[in-house]
Amino acid sequence: MTSPAASLSAVRVPKWAFAVSVLGLIVTYLVLQENGLALGAGSELLHEFFHDGRHALGVPCH
Amino acid sequence: MTTYKSLALRGVAAGGVAGVASALVQLLVTEIPIRAALAVEEARAPAGEEAGHSHGGGEELVGRGAQVVGGMLGVVIVGIAVGLVFATAYALSKRWFTGSTPFSRSFAFGAAVFGAVALLPWLKYPANPPAVGDPETVNYRTALYLGVVVAGLVIVWAASWLAEQLRAQSQPVRTTAVLLAVAAATAVVLLAFPAPPDTIPADMPVNVLWQFRLSSLAQLATLYVGIGVVFGLLIDPATRKAKARVTEASV
Repeated sequence: MTSPAASLSAVRVPKWAFAVSVLGLIVTYLVLQENGLALGAGSELLHEFFHDGRHALGVPCH
Repeated sequence: MTTYKSLALRGVAAGGVAGVASALVQLLVTEIPIRAALAVEEARAPAGEEAGHSHGGGEELVGRGAQVVGGMLGVVIVGIAVGLVFATAYALSKRWFTGSTPFSRSFAFGAAVFGAVALLPWLKYPANPPAVGDPETVNYRTALYLGVVVAGLVIVWAASWLAEQLRAQSQPVRTTAVLLAVAAATAVVLLAFPAPPDTIPADMPVNVLWQFRLSSLAQLATLYVGIGVVFGLLIDPATRKAKARVTEASV
């Protein structure tokens, strides 16, 4: 039985893990923050659709 | 053998579960003050204008029902995305409570992330319901908000670095030193960032405002601490062993 610390260091993090994390951050940005920077006109629809979630998670909103 | 892929999948699952829990808090708790705030907004609109929440006075892009569902869906999507990032950070962490069980590490990590990306910005720039907030300042407010989030994450990272440096000290001394450093850094962040630019409109009742803010905090805690708890349950071998024992006993 290895200790938690030993099994932890055994986790090899592949390079694509960083791409996956960046994807996660981009999705978070689109849902919570996008106000026209990345999607232009489409962002208004996105903003209105996720509107209540943005307010509820405390993100600055209009 | 733990692989990154198995951790990432558990991160997605934990984020989904915590996201659904947080979305339910939204539906049952946060929507109550949101409805009250929208009523305030509607009372402002001149008579004859269509009811509902829209920006810029144009026609409504998304109806209220869709906004409630979309808001909950957004929380679940954010939960999954954050769960993925959480699992990656967990897999990369080499000094975060290394002596503890995977569950304790994950729970503590979730609580720290809550403090950094939810509680700290909530203290500095409290969440506002609809009908508060000047559209002209949204980019400025977003920049301030993200600045505090980054500062919070730097504090968490620096706290783990400091704990590592103080390894030679006894555990109580080490914990106290790290807590003092975190408190001092938090105070600096709260003082250094400018005051919130919003003025709360006079027609917004104070109880609606605070009901909304506390609901928002409850929802954020459900999301972030929830990810830490569920991820910990999913990765800790102790959970599976206990289950295996139950199965053996029942045979």
